[in-house]
Amino acid sequence: MTDRLENMALVMPGLLLLGLAFILPVLQMLVLSVSGPDGFTLEHFTRFLSDSYYLGILWRTVRLSALITLITALIGFPLAYIMAKSGPRLRLWLTLIVILPLMTSVVIRTFGWIVLLGRSGMIPSMLRDLGLVGRSFSIIQTESAIVIGMVQVLLPFMTLSVLGVVMSIDGRLEEAARTMGCSFMKTIRTVVLPLSLPGIVAGGLLVFTLSASSFVTPSLLGGSRIQVLAGSIYNAVTQTLEWEFAAAQAVILFVGVALVLVPYLSVAGRRNG
Amino acid sequence: MSEINLSDIHKSFGKVEVIPGVSFSVERGEFVSLLGPSGCGKTTLLRIVAGLETVSSGRVDIAGTDVTHLPPEKRDIAMMFQSYALLPHLSVAENVRFPLRMRGIGSRDEQNERVKTALDTVQLSHLGDRRARQLSGGQQQRVALARAIVSRPKVLLLDEPLSNLDARLREDMQVELIEIHKNLGLTTLFVTHDQEEALSLSDRIILIKGGRIEQEGTPAHIYAQPSTSFASQFLGSANMLSAVVEDTGSGPMAVLGDGQRLPLALDEAARGAVSLALRQEDLVLSDASDANDGGGLKAKVRARVYLGARNRYVLELAGASLRILTGNDQLFARGDDVSLTIAHERIRVLAP
Repeated sequence: MTDRLENMALVMPGLLLLGLAFILPVLQMLVLSVSGPDGFTLEHFTRFLSDSYYLGILWRTVRLSALITLITALIGFPLAYIMAKSGPRLRLWLTLIVILPLMTSVVIRTFGWIVLLGRSGMIPSMLRDLGLVGRSFSIIQTESAIVIGMVQVLLPFMTLSVLGVVMSIDGRLEEAARTMGCSFMKTIRTVVLPLSLPGIVAGGLLVFTLSASSFVTPSLLGGSRIQVLAGSIYNAVTQTLEWEFAAAQAVILFVGVALVLVPYLSVAGRRNG
Repeated sequence: MSEINLSDIHKSFGKVEVIPGVSFSVERGEFVSLLGPSGCGKTTLLRIVAGLETVSSGRVDIAGTDVTHLPPEKRDIAMMFQSYALLPHLSVAENVRFPLRMRGIGSRDEQNERVKTALDTVQLSHLGDRRARQLSGGQQQRVALARAIVSRPKVLLLDEPLSNLDARLREDMQVELIEIHKNLGLTTLFVTHDQEEALSLSDRIILIKGGRIEQEGTPAHIYAQPSTSFASQFLGSANMLSAVVEDTGSGPMAVLGDGQRLPLALDEAARGAVSLALRQEDLVLSDASDANDGGGLKAKVRARVYLGARNRYVLELAGASLRILTGNDQLFARGDDVSLTIAHERIRVLAP
């Protein structure tokens, strides 16, 4: 057997699995999204794209995902840097703490946030007692609640992606920068941050796609009034039973995410040479 | 006035004291090497001067200013690392510009001019647009050197900058380093474990062992007159023989373990048990059966290593093994009996 055949044989099981479990359903979904009672139709797409309600949902999904990505990067990068610079024992503990949210059930975790953020919850009532906010103040069922809940779940993806890259940066580069006149913060900005960019890009990719397609946390924390696309798809499938419309929304989500990610990746790729 | 001054530096990592009190200074324009085996604390001392390592106690002055508690970026220094530490995300020219940009030296045009001059100095001006990682080791080395001299620092710190280069490049770089040092009049502190490098580059060598200064002096002085057996072995890897010095009518005589005798210089004052340091190149080898053998030491050839221009013999003498370097004119084989002679003023008598 030639090397080429051998390689093909090795990737075959994976390709088969991918084909059966991923590409086939996606194709089926594509077909479903353009089928109506009289065969081919684009009516589901026009319905979505001409309704400002649905366009608002799409815009909210993209906007919140971008915001969540930005916040996880802002928290994740310093966190990863500190983890990279700490000893192996401390790093292990920090890693455990960072991935702890992933080890608890999404429902339990989200109800925890509801307890903390709800109208009579700990944080709003504390803010009310301090006189910082008005009587009717609530965080739950706002976009802020969605962002807070999502950042908590998605932070490990960003942190661990960045950690891998920061760990591989030669510490001597930072020392060299210090001897060339950089303060600590300037070293982070001019040396560590540019070199960590591949990790931040990879983490951002994960966080953005996961938050754009996430459903449970946004619908529990945002409530039915503040819908994201995944929630809207769920409704179309389970409540209104419009599977074709759900499929069209799924395609729009897919294309929307791709439209954001392709320019993002090409810009990031160019910067890394 | 001394440009670098370290006084009574102590440094501990946890409970381990790696620098138990060291003081030295480097004069303006001087090239000083910190020489010692790995783990002797020489790099720690350099990092203390750079500000990359804090001191447990003691004081560091650079150009007459107390910098003991200043961070590295506030010290007027440049440092060259063993791994070069070029920034991989910047071009060669941007790497060289980096210290100027960070220290805010000069306008953009002046910076360009200085980058060009620095790259010219190391003959790399044609590679300014390349990425640092696209260069060979020797070229990266030159970029690191250009980057170190571009800001015209008061003090240049070199941390084994030549040890990753192959032998030929290393010799070229040594010549270049000396020229740049002389032309720019930089005060240079150089860390190395390579005695040849230290001997050929330095105005002065500070030999470090176990975090302490073992001996310091000019290369010629420290090579010719090592004050300890460590110094004589580390510089030029001299052979050490233990002996007892006795006074005879004709002057002091060293008696070896097997009873053989070796005359010493007349003014040699040491008595009793001593160590004799015999340089490999000072020992003269001749055939033991030769008629005109002038009372040399009897030894046996254990091995011969052919080095091209020279031969290295490993001999057995008084239970010790001796290494000597000779030319190609006379060859001996393993097991041959040979006779060893050495001019008595070349023998260094040290404490055992």
